[in-house]
Amino acid sequence: MRPTPKLPCIPLHAAAMLAPFTLAYGLFFLWPAVQTLLLSFTQSSTTATTGFVGLANYIELFGDADFWSSLLQTLYFCLLTVLPLTAMGLLAALLVERMHRGKALVQAAFFLPYVLPVGVMTLIAGWMLHPNFGVINYVFESQTAWLSDPVWAMPMVGIATLWWTVGFNMLFFMAGLRNIPADIYEAAGLDGASGFTLFRYMTWPQLMPVTIMVLLLQLIGSLKVFSQPFIMTGGGPFNSTRVVLHYMYETGFVNDNAGYASAIAVVFMVVVLLVSAVQNWLLRGRHAN
Amino acid sequence: MTKTLNRRTGLAAVALAVASFATPSWAATDIKLWTLLSGGDGARLATLVDGFNASQTDYKVETTTLPWGVPFYTKVRTASAVGAGPDLINLHLSRMGDFGPSGALRALAPAELAAAGIVGSDYAERQWQKGQYNGKTFAIPLDTHALVLYYNKTLVAKAGLADATGNLKPIEGIAALTDAFRTVKEKTGADAFAMESNTNSYMGYRLWLSMLAQRGGKMLDNGKLAYGDAGVDSMKVITDWFSKGYAAKNLDYPAANAQFLSGKAAFMLNGVWEVPTMVDLSASKKLPFDYGIVPLPKLYANQSVWGDSHAFAVPDNKGKPISAERLKGALKFVDYVGRHSITWAGGGHIPAFTAVAESDALKAMKPNNEFSGVVAKNIVFSPEGWYGGAAGPMEASAAKFFPAAMTGQLPVDKALSMFDAEAKKLLASPRPAK
Repeated sequence: MRPTPKLPCIPLHAAAMLAPFTLAYGLFFLWPAVQTLLLSFTQSSTTATTGFVGLANYIELFGDADFWSSLLQTLYFCLLTVLPLTAMGLLAALLVERMHRGKALVQAAFFLPYVLPVGVMTLIAGWMLHPNFGVINYVFESQTAWLSDPVWAMPMVGIATLWWTVGFNMLFFMAGLRNIPADIYEAAGLDGASGFTLFRYMTWPQLMPVTIMVLLLQLIGSLKVFSQPFIMTGGGPFNSTRVVLHYMYETGFVNDNAGYASAIAVVFMVVVLLVSAVQNWLLRGRHAN
Repeated sequence: MTKTLNRRTGLAAVALAVASFATPSWAATDIKLWTLLSGGDGARLATLVDGFNASQTDYKVETTTLPWGVPFYTKVRTASAVGAGPDLINLHLSRMGDFGPSGALRALAPAELAAAGIVGSDYAERQWQKGQYNGKTFAIPLDTHALVLYYNKTLVAKAGLADATGNLKPIEGIAALTDAFRTVKEKTGADAFAMESNTNSYMGYRLWLSMLAQRGGKMLDNGKLAYGDAGVDSMKVITDWFSKGYAAKNLDYPAANAQFLSGKAAFMLNGVWEVPTMVDLSASKKLPFDYGIVPLPKLYANQSVWGDSHAFAVPDNKGKPISAERLKGALKFVDYVGRHSITWAGGGHIPAFTAVAESDALKAMKPNNEFSGVVAKNIVFSPEGWYGGAAGPMEASAAKFFPAAMTGQLPVDKALSMFDAEAKKLLASPRPAK
């Protein structure tokens, strides 16, 4: 006779230890998420709800050109940052790992910008890119208003982000490199592999799990972009750098439409989940082969 | 022995000091004020707060300064909805179309006002009326501030635009102003004017609204966009100035100021709040030229100019109505500020308290007396509505697209059609529930 499946029984002391986390998680993550979902089905301002409107917010959202263009801006930012940040993190890690003298110094130099709060980072970038007093225009003898220019604004936000966060990805790759056993290099060396061949057939496959993780984290991080363009360009010029979360902020807090802003949040969360799932599937699939 | 004595004396002294500090605040009721005024305005407000706190022992006003614009108004709105707001706030009167009907403010009964010494007839009528909604008083005006034209006497004289005393010769008509700009550029090589024109800057919108009003036009009429050809043409005039190189493009606020203050532009289009900068730099001999200020010239049919007013209001904290005692204290402070607003006038603002606005002290105050009289009579507020007013969604939208048109990033028609699309969305949306 088959035993009847039993519900997992959590001992009291385990439950007690889990309780603080569960409580905090429920109160500060789960409950707000549920609230957001509920709000998205209503006509609401930031302070009051007028009534239940069913899917009206979602229907409006799918026909909202501003939403789609903000999604496009977000994807453009991802294009500018995800692969470059991953590649440069890897390059920086390879460089640092190969150094003998001054290793700590170079490593620190790459990592230091990451410890800056976003407000400080954008302030520095804003000064450097200032059309009249900035060092960039001084050096290149240019007059370009980088952050007010529809062509340059987003790439500049991307470059600033690159400088700001590349050190974090470097740490992941450094850890990954150190986890590769030395004996496989030794064996490959005996077989005559060296230089790029060694990297291509030994390091690269061994690093794949780390690379996948960095890519995924970076993609989610880049999709969630808000602070850098919000502070550096204010979404401008004429909404050309207004990303999804900025559009959500503007809808909720400037236009006082919390119901619609919640619908944006929910749809965006689904988009992020889908994109990460697809990326995960693609990368893991290839890796398995 | 000596040691003990010393210690005892010391303790006694400390106790005495504590007691003497504590006595005045023993009975004082704290009045919490949230303000969005910082910089020079914030410093002047602090002077007034200190003056009020020292003038009596019943109340003590404590100020919290929050970032100007959206963050401030969002915080006021949400805090009052959950009963966590302060006793008193600052407010732009242009926001009354939003805050009046919102229920976020407490109506102030004539008896309550009178108990603190506040009577409507003591204030500039238009500003007082602007603080009314549904026949009730919700906001008490403090000042009026507007767009004015600053000029550099050296450059203006060099361009032949000054009279015998060095002051700017009167400019009338849009052609005359464009001519003046062209002459400056040709004769001095300096920029004709400085004005912020980077992404999300407001000054271009304020100038445009002034020009539109001078032609008898309106931005909104009956909840619909109504600026029409006059609005398009006004925008084209400004765009033309930039494209002819009369002003540097894309300057942010500090950069535009720096350009004028360093003598690289003959005029500056900015608000009266830069008056203290001029006064201070001039007094410390750090300004490389003599400056003058005139009201925005009459460019079309009248001399309308964009303006707004700072005011005081009492949030209606849900579930925690303000006590009669605190209300009285808050209103007494407002009354004190009105009566002492000569201090506030130092910030370039025109006091709303009539006795101060018409006082000899103000008439003698330079450079305020060069523009205050004309400006006060010609103020145009931003259009009203839940979306209207300082840092409201309508202005925020104009600030996105107007600078792009003015600096030539977008053709005027394209920029205006993009603005129209956003504005129509706002106009079609119901007033947010409160």
